[in-house]
Amino acid sequence: MAYMVDNLVQPNISSVASNLGPDWLSSEQSTGTSIMACEFDGGVVIGADSRATTGAYISNRFADKLTKITDYIYCCRSGSAADTQAISDIVAYHLSLHKMELGMEPLVETAANVFRELCYNYRDSLMAGILVAGWDSRKGGQVYSIPLGGMCVRQPISIGGSGSTYVYGYMDSQYKPNMSRDECVKLVENTLALAMSRDGSSGGVIRIGVITEKGAERKVILGNELPQFYEG
Amino acid sequence: MSSVLVPEIPAPGFSFDLCQRNNFLVKKGFQAPKAVKTGTTIAGVVYKDGVVLGGDTRSTENTIVADKNCSKIHYLTENIYCCGAGTAADTEMTTMISSQLELHHLNTNRIVPVCTANAMIKQLLFRYQGNIGAALILGGVDLDGPHLYCIYPHGSSDRHLYTSMGTGSLAAMAVFESRWKPDMTEEEAKELVADAIRAGVFNDLASGSNVDLCVIRKGSVDYLRPYDIANVKGQRNISYRYKRGTTAVLNKIVHPIIIEGETVRRLETEPMDTSS
Amino acid sequence: MNLYLCYTVKKELESILAYNGGAIIAMKGKNCVAIAADRRFGIQAQTITCNFQKIFEMGSHLYLSLPGLATDTQTVMEKLRFRLNLYELKENRKIHPKTFASMVSNLLYERRFGPYFVEPIIAGLCPVTYEPFICNMDLIGCISPSNDFVVGGTCSEQLYGMCESLYEPDMEPDDLFETISQALVNACDRDAISGWGAVVHVIEKDKVTVRTIKTRMD
Repeated sequence: MAYMVDNLVQPNISSVASNLGPDWLSSEQSTGTSIMACEFDGGVVIGADSRATTGAYISNRFADKLTKITDYIYCCRSGSAADTQAISDIVAYHLSLHKMELGMEPLVETAANVFRELCYNYRDSLMAGILVAGWDSRKGGQVYSIPLGGMCVRQPISIGGSGSTYVYGYMDSQYKPNMSRDECVKLVENTLALAMSRDGSSGGVIRIGVITEKGAERKVILGNELPQFYEG
Repeated sequence: MSSVLVPEIPAPGFSFDLCQRNNFLVKKGFQAPKAVKTGTTIAGVVYKDGVVLGGDTRSTENTIVADKNCSKIHYLTENIYCCGAGTAADTEMTTMISSQLELHHLNTNRIVPVCTANAMIKQLLFRYQGNIGAALILGGVDLDGPHLYCIYPHGSSDRHLYTSMGTGSLAAMAVFESRWKPDMTEEEAKELVADAIRAGVFNDLASGSNVDLCVIRKGSVDYLRPYDIANVKGQRNISYRYKRGTTAVLNKIVHPIIIEGETVRRLETEPMDTSS
Repeated sequence: MNLYLCYTVKKELESILAYNGGAIIAMKGKNCVAIAADRRFGIQAQTITCNFQKIFEMGSHLYLSLPGLATDTQTVMEKLRFRLNLYELKENRKIHPKTFASMVSNLLYERRFGPYFVEPIIAGLCPVTYEPFICNMDLIGCISPSNDFVVGGTCSEQLYGMCESLYEPDMEPDDLFETISQALVNACDRDAISGWGAVVHVIEKDKVTVRTIKTRMD
């Protein structure tokens, strides 16, 4: 009964008690993201922003969403951080075993299909949008997009994550077949910078990776070095 | 076939046999009670040659302070410690991973890598899909140097150079973002983490009491509990003690515990037989 | 699921933990511990009996109390007695209160996702050194050992207040008895579903004194 009196005096006391903290306390950590991958002759360029959020709180401002699967295959992760990390750990394990059995580097298509298998079979319990990109000797640089339901499709250029909706048009207008490596890197930089400036849950730095026959090269474009566009 | 007289040996792991009853009670309109949470400030920093972990010492049950001096920095192995926030029982049980890490240490005869501890914990938490509410900061030093990980209840983890978690994590992070710099000395790192925890203690209602620190360097650990008593309990000037006989006793029974005999058997330690 | 947050164990009538009512304290003294409980057993506001046992002797120097839902109180006590007997047969020695606390915690955490509605309190002396030990737990088995006192039950707010002001370290058994009794009696006076008689156990190396004390009966 004492509580009922309390509630009359402070009508919201129970709601204060059950909401002592803001939403980021209860939310799952997710990578509300902008990710991108682009094929060029002899390799692929991958890129991602670096923001990880729990609700409205930035839990990590220098997250690495470009995750190594093998020496020649990387994936760009978007969606739930826990789900995508678990999936990429599992795929990395399967492929390293596959590599030992095969005696050669696994194909990018194989990696993409392992991702697809997991994403499709567990589509009801996972929140993962993944871009698989890499280089192999058979088909060169390849990009596979595996969106939420567990579909797998090869695309010459692909974007993903919450920020991608803002820049589909830009990507379509700027993409030309047979771009050079440097053109691809520039396109990825520009597209991600545009996505990051419009999408609240993308931001931080741009991480870029270029995977070729020689392996992966990575670089970071810091927040003050991002390409500048009209900002109204 | 189980019988009333011969109880069945229960299966290991979680038991869900009361769920149906409990859901029924909740449906009847009774509120399900909630567990103790450590509305916490925990933080960690990598410095020049090690890791400093820190935590406050308050655990809460809604608005009641359930424990004024609880320990939130848990031992995992000789070189790895772990701060826990979230449901208190879950952080306690998750850090029971330490027995598996000890076995790993004995099997490999090497210093346990911090990434091993990270992988084991995140896989455990991922299996339970966030239902085990443990948010952890994992810190340690192995052959590759110092490492600091932040593990979320759903099973994701990030590597950091400085990080904070719990309800007071914003206050602590504000201190880090303004004052953290690379390659700090041990003293600087300790003071920075202590200040971050103090920021949580004084600005977050669910964090409080003292500041605990744990400094892990290559080959040695300092577990400082308490590092700083941020809030000293006031001293009473006179005693409130009741005089003997205040309470009306209706009846009194004394059960004596009589020790009937005591024998002490001395054991002579023999050197182990190593002849064969 | 709300994370890292403090949460309520609402002591309202509609809470499961407050279905039967009850108030428990344990306190440390000088080479002794005391544990006290009220004697009311009710179903919400209806009192059924005034001689309900809430403190259980689990060993010569080890006492356990399980405030909460009475059906679970008895079930958990019996399950613990089974595990304790098995432990003492296997090990052929008396259990340390700390070990016993882990045993209770283990039993409760097993039902992490469908818990027993009890919040145990353990008080005892180490069987070898006779060092005092008290602790309490939440309903899923998070142990918090204490150096002074622990409380549990429906009027824990009142009990916390009484204990915070009355407790002094290193009390003799007789002083400990007065302190714990007064804390319990006065806290119960402000709780409608606890009280109706109380029993206090003072555990020392060579004896256990059980006193039933006079309280208001309303």
